[in-house]
Amino acid sequence: MNTQSAETTLAPPRIGPALMPLSRSRMAQWLIFVITAVLVLAPALPILLQVFVAGPLYERDWDFTFANIGRLLGNEAIGEIALTTLAFAGLTTLIAQVLGVTAALLFGRTDMPGRRVMGDMMMWPLYLSHLIMVVGWLIVYGPSGFLTQAFARMFGNAPWNLYSIPGMAVVAGVSQAPLAYLYCLYGVARSIDPTLESAARTCGAGPLTVMRRVTLPLMLPAIVTSSALNIVIAVEMLSIPLFLGRPARIDTLSSYLYLEGIGASNPQHGMVAASALVLVVLVGATLALQRLLLSRGHRYETVKGKGTRPAPLQLGALKWPLFTLAVLYIAFVVLVPVLGLVLRAFTSYLTPLIPIWDVLTLQNFRDVFQTDAYMRALWNTLIIAVVAAGLGTLLTALIALVIQRSGFPFRRTLEALAYSPRMVPGLITGLGVFYAAIVFAPFGWLRDSIWILVVAYIMATIPLGLGAIQPSVVQIGADLDKAARTVGADWITSMRRILLPLMKPALLGCFVLLFVVHLKSYVVAIFLMAPGLEIMGVTMLGLWENGAAGVTAAFATLQIAMIAILLIAARLVFGVKLYE
Amino acid sequence: MNKLVLENLTKSYGEVHAVNNISLTVEQGEFLTLLGPSGCGKSTTLAAIAGLDRPTSGVVRFGDHVLFDDMSGRFAPPEKRGFGVVFQSYALWPHLTVERNVSMPLELRRVSRAERTRRVGETLELVGLSGFEKRYPGELSGGQQQRVALARAVVFRPPLLLLDEPLSNLDAQLRQSARVWLKEIQRELGLTAIYVTHDQEEALAMSDRIAVMRAGKIVQLGTPQEIYERPQHPFAATFIGSANLIEGIVEQSARRGDAIVTRLRLADGQHLDGHSAVPMAAGTKAKLAVRGERMRVAEESGANTLDAGFTTASYLGNHYEQKLMLAGQEIRMLVDVPQPERAGKIHIAESDALVFSAE
Ligand SMILES: Nc1ncnc2c1ncn2[C@@H]1O[C@H](COP(=O)(O)OP(=O)(O)O)[C@@H](O)[C@H]1O
Ligand SMILES: [Mg+2]
Repeated sequence: MNTQSAETTLAPPRIGPALMPLSRSRMAQWLIFVITAVLVLAPALPILLQVFVAGPLYERDWDFTFANIGRLLGNEAIGEIALTTLAFAGLTTLIAQVLGVTAALLFGRTDMPGRRVMGDMMMWPLYLSHLIMVVGWLIVYGPSGFLTQAFARMFGNAPWNLYSIPGMAVVAGVSQAPLAYLYCLYGVARSIDPTLESAARTCGAGPLTVMRRVTLPLMLPAIVTSSALNIVIAVEMLSIPLFLGRPARIDTLSSYLYLEGIGASNPQHGMVAASALVLVVLVGATLALQRLLLSRGHRYETVKGKGTRPAPLQLGALKWPLFTLAVLYIAFVVLVPVLGLVLRAFTSYLTPLIPIWDVLTLQNFRDVFQTDAYMRALWNTLIIAVVAAGLGTLLTALIALVIQRSGFPFRRTLEALAYSPRMVPGLITGLGVFYAAIVFAPFGWLRDSIWILVVAYIMATIPLGLGAIQPSVVQIGADLDKAARTVGADWITSMRRILLPLMKPALLGCFVLLFVVHLKSYVVAIFLMAPGLEIMGVTMLGLWENGAAGVTAAFATLQIAMIAILLIAARLVFGVKLYE
Repeated sequence: MNKLVLENLTKSYGEVHAVNNISLTVEQGEFLTLLGPSGCGKSTTLAAIAGLDRPTSGVVRFGDHVLFDDMSGRFAPPEKRGFGVVFQSYALWPHLTVERNVSMPLELRRVSRAERTRRVGETLELVGLSGFEKRYPGELSGGQQQRVALARAVVFRPPLLLLDEPLSNLDAQLRQSARVWLKEIQRELGLTAIYVTHDQEEALAMSDRIAVMRAGKIVQLGTPQEIYERPQHPFAATFIGSANLIEGIVEQSARRGDAIVTRLRLADGQHLDGHSAVPMAAGTKAKLAVRGERMRVAEESGANTLDAGFTTASYLGNHYEQKLMLAGQEIRMLVDVPQPERAGKIHIAESDALVFSAE
């Protein structure tokens, strides 16, 4: 017989003592669970506590009371603010959905010329922060904006006013339209069988009728999901209410919270926490409503298209009129505000009254580069974004592996915990981390270190990262890690050697996504600012409030350039495309 | 000796018992097949042995080791069991070369590099894949992937090899040769193997013993010959060799020599003698199992010769499948000469007519 049969059995590797009650894999799973729980709960609990404490939490003798809630309910202003918030969020979402759905239909399903390019440009606002969008809009369409003045010179007073709820909603709506566009685009690409549309055509329906009667109803789940997200984002939006609402004395919950918590000379912490709670309830209710509407089957609402694209719908005679409309939209809504912003950065003063070449200057950038605090803001932002995106990607990957690929008994609880920050607006996350650093002694060291921002950023984006990574884990066949287990790898080893390498593209995508989000983020950081902790977004906020429009624009231009370079590099070098 | 013992193994998903109270012993060096239709619990049983799934109750023992015992709560994870497993999907790691796939079990066992190279080379030679070391799984054909999967499962000479429908993704011709080849390797290495399949031919050709499963239970356990010749359950008879089942009523049942001969009255009043495992009470309902190739066309009346109506015949290559009506039921038999549509007679030997209680 063959000599091979004489080979002896190689016993399985010894991993710790045999049949130890708590293997190193289980310990690792517990560690991930505990880290997630602490990260998610530590900021939430102090806010809850503050609601029921009379004085600020950092005063050591806590006086428990319901007075904060009483004052909140008794405060007529709060009712009005909540209503304003709802009106603003509702109108914003309506605008964003109409624009996004229309764009998805036109760019995603028809033979309109230039739909690829316009579809890409449609996405731009998603890569930029609301702060940059609103500054761009103010520079162009604000009361003393470039086009407002140009319009006034030619036709008399401009008919628009950004300092109003509709004005706020328009800026917020066009900023959020890409989200609706994205969801509906993939909703369309994913679920529509082109023969359904062809069938309707053969029954005598024109292209617009087909869209209205066939395509649109099929997109309903995507519309519901993106509506819910947009309502949530509008409710917690800060810069637009602050820059456009404030001058007209229009307050939303976010701007009220900001002004009470930061701006007021003697902040009422109890009230702030109580109204934060109202915000969380609003967001939670929206998400619950979305769940109810979709009831089931849309757990991993992430964006992954099919390889094949159904044949486009022929627009016929409507082709060129619709094309013109789309070009005007992209030009005036997306392109002009960004161009205005960049132009403002390179000029000392932007007005149609003076020729631009007379005011061209690099002074704004010189100001940025020659001011220590501004340079610190640049570097801090970069460092925090890299570290938080790296650690966040690692953490969410581990969470996803425990949820999808382990026998950890509390993995469903872990999943619920990990997605719970969705309910907490960024402003509140920052506030919670701030409180946590005060209340919990072990977090004390975080104060005045940029790690406090890293922690807050990671916590705020766990759901986003998980949403990007979890579907990719689900797609990896379960037999692959089972096979590793049978040849002698414990859970940790099979994750490290098999699953993580296979997840590499998703990890890269997640890192780039988180990096961009952190780069443009500012809301989370607002309550955490301290000398030395400056970041770009918050610095811009302060600069604009102080009227330094040129330097703000220079900052914004730098941020746009950074994001653009990053996205282009990611696409060229790694083939990573965000949101795909 | 390294025996695998399952005692009262059960795996439930809520109300569904995927595996229902199975007991089984597999001897060292034995090739045992779990055979049954899709969804009968074969993979679940295999996963319980491999440790990939925690059973609901029962005991799994291997040699002196208790691998699972619901009473003591003991459960050895798969990596501690050290069994080789070949997955239906092959489960080759797509980011690793063939060589790395096969050497992974050795790396995990901290085998030295030189020893690893030697063993991997030997094993790849054994499965006929020398020269494919640097390929990635995506660059191999289905049959080659299947060989890599086997190499990976045997490279560390596991005391027990578990195979879950390893040939089901191959085309018919490849499956035939892979069957022979797989059996040779098992013999050569002296491996104890548990093989899962829903293909009765595969089971009959390869196994030392077959466990026929239905709805989470073992219906019959025996050698291929026993299972084929003496099915103990109508399900075993129909699933293996697809016997005909004919309904009838017991008229009398008595021991005669070594056999128990039971006389049945069929729906149309004709009588037929067959063998049953135990004496059966007169008047009870019964099922008669008879294989298509054990019936023959008769010209004259006689004992155990029945009137039947031949209907259609279809050509199967070296013989015909003849359909006929017997006692109001359509049944199939194998014939060399197709019968025209007519009334005729068939003969079934007493020992080929297996009578089961219809419960
Ligand atoms: N995770 C699960 N949850 C619920 N039922 C399951 C699960 N896995 C298997 N089953 C059920 O257990 C039964 C046996 O499955 P399986 O062992 O895979 O069958 P086989 O391998 O024989 O085709 C099937 O009815 C299947 O539906
Ligand atoms: Mg199976």
